[in-house]
Amino acid sequence: MSLQPDGRRAVNLFAADDSDVIVVIGSGAGGGTLASELTRNGVKVVLLEAGRHYQPEDFINDEWASLNQLAWLDERTTSGSWRIAREFPGLPAWTCKAVGGTTVHWAGCCPRFKDWEFRIRSEHGPIDGASLLDWPIGLTDLEPYYDKAEYRMGVTRTNGIPAPAANNNFKVMGNGALRSGYKDVSTGRMAFNTVPRDGRPATIQDGFNYQGDKQRAHWSTLTAEIPRAGKTGRLDLRPESMAIRIEHDKSGTVTGVVYVDAEGNERHQRARAVCVACNAIETARLLLNSASPLFPDGLANSSGQVGRNYMRHVTGAVFATFDKPVRMYRGETMAGIVTDESRNDPGRGFAGGYYLELHSLGPSFLANFLMPRAWGRDFAAIMEQYDHMAGMFLVGEDLPRESNRVTLSRGARDQFGQPVPNVHVDEHPNDTAMREHGYVAGESVYHAVDATATFRVPPYPASHNLGTARMSARPQDGVVNEFGRAHDIPNLFVSDGSVMTTGAAANPTLTIVALALRQAGHIEQQMKAGAL
Amino acid sequence: MSTPETAIPSSQAMATITAAARIMYPHDALPDDVYARVTERLAEAARADSGAARTVQDGVAALNVGQPFAELSGDEQLEVLKGIEGSEFFELVRSTAVVEVYSDQRTWRLVGYEGPSFDKGGYLNRGFNDLDWLPDPEAAS
Repeated sequence: MSLQPDGRRAVNLFAADDSDVIVVIGSGAGGGTLASELTRNGVKVVLLEAGRHYQPEDFINDEWASLNQLAWLDERTTSGSWRIAREFPGLPAWTCKAVGGTTVHWAGCCPRFKDWEFRIRSEHGPIDGASLLDWPIGLTDLEPYYDKAEYRMGVTRTNGIPAPAANNNFKVMGNGALRSGYKDVSTGRMAFNTVPRDGRPATIQDGFNYQGDKQRAHWSTLTAEIPRAGKTGRLDLRPESMAIRIEHDKSGTVTGVVYVDAEGNERHQRARAVCVACNAIETARLLLNSASPLFPDGLANSSGQVGRNYMRHVTGAVFATFDKPVRMYRGETMAGIVTDESRNDPGRGFAGGYYLELHSLGPSFLANFLMPRAWGRDFAAIMEQYDHMAGMFLVGEDLPRESNRVTLSRGARDQFGQPVPNVHVDEHPNDTAMREHGYVAGESVYHAVDATATFRVPPYPASHNLGTARMSARPQDGVVNEFGRAHDIPNLFVSDGSVMTTGAAANPTLTIVALALRQAGHIEQQMKAGAL
Repeated sequence: MSTPETAIPSSQAMATITAAARIMYPHDALPDDVYARVTERLAEAARADSGAARTVQDGVAALNVGQPFAELSGDEQLEVLKGIEGSEFFELVRSTAVVEVYSDQRTWRLVGYEGPSFDKGGYLNRGFNDLDWLPDPEAAS
């Protein structure tokens, strides 16, 4: 996007009444990749992004200052029995509000979904209190797009890209895992450069994966896909443009998007098709806030499933202290994984699998999250062992529930006058059982290398937000079809993790990118066929 | 009656909050300046929000009924704070203190955290893999 000398926007590339553009809302893993792929293949795209356009040199290597720069901190409310509603009631999710979306703050962990994870309903049959459904697609449908995504993102251990080096924190977790009998222990498939690639450098092991990558070694839509799209001359990126409503005509076909620009002016952009990729909470909210006389329950919501089946993964962390120094903060934050527990083995007392992944925090975040609200001399003594501490993250499949959902607040409104989202979660007993198993596993790993103490850390505000506009074979079971196309509206698409029918154990970004690439092909084919 | 604007910078308020923050996150090697950051942050919050100003003003007053809080022994201060744990004032001070104390570079040095490294070339040649009491796990497997 061209800027005038005073930094304000110049004239947009495409006119507000251009009937030929596809409007993509959200520039993260889904929207940014979709925009990149569409523009590369000749499609004109207006990319609306609520956040500002920071560059890597703007990022701040200080946890709280960075959170205030990058995180989505607009007002939200929470309800339900989950701990987040007590401990972080205004911050159910930790995602980004910036060009690049949440790819700006990710560590780069790229496991694929497993075959059975696309059909967990069939694997297990119905589970009480869960709204399980098989995906309308399977691994074989997605494999070619996983291949493309891994190449594009430069995932280590694929396409001949060297594995990440073992850092200090991994030496502790990895040895502990091997000594406790785990077999598949590695530095993982990671979307950061171990050698220079795609115009970006190899990692200098400077950490701060959750604060934006100053050196551009990590793949993100900010540093890889959006610049690619910009070079085509067909991308009209509009930062600080908050979509507040999707409009349609009398026939129920989507016609454009109303958004508020940086100066607070309400704007309208006409669209040939609209792709919603705002992350699961905002995607559901935008569809619900777009209710009209024709669609009184919100767009694409004849099933009543918009906002329901909200998933955030079973997460938790285990930290441990040791007699000798570790210095877990040096190097890539998440370059280590144990996959043995990602198998499907109901004999453990729960359905689905989980991963143990490398993880570290700086002192300022650790003090907040290690034992929320703890204080006093014992706690301070633990913090003084910071440089003798190792850490891991647990991430596993959580079960969808109809009642775990994003709704519109009846009272609270945001700075644009729009109802804020409420996120309600009551954790399924399967999730609780899986986390408990993970805590025990993590503690065993650290005790196998002589930990002096271990700590079970409760879930943080979620960075993996999924399921609120799920894919389904039948229109009555979900919001979109296998290509992310709304069952109810032929030119409305959902292009982010909201479409996940179930969430698998894997960190979702790779799959979101693969789905976006698959969707881009479908959209191009529909355009050629004259159907869009 | 004092206005919210004058409540926080009072020497009693500063001494009270600084002492309370030290009891909450006690690192004996840290100077009072680290804990005084909490006072500064709460003063900003009080200037920005009259509700926060009242919470701080009332909370400080309650801790100073009788002998001034800052003049109590550490054990006595701890008992007083346990008595108000969970109150709005306590949680405001605690939640501010946990951020301020552990974001201070003097605390980082104390706990052995070296912080940002981008300007120094990262940890690539500065010990990202220098742990020597365990082998490389992948080589071992």
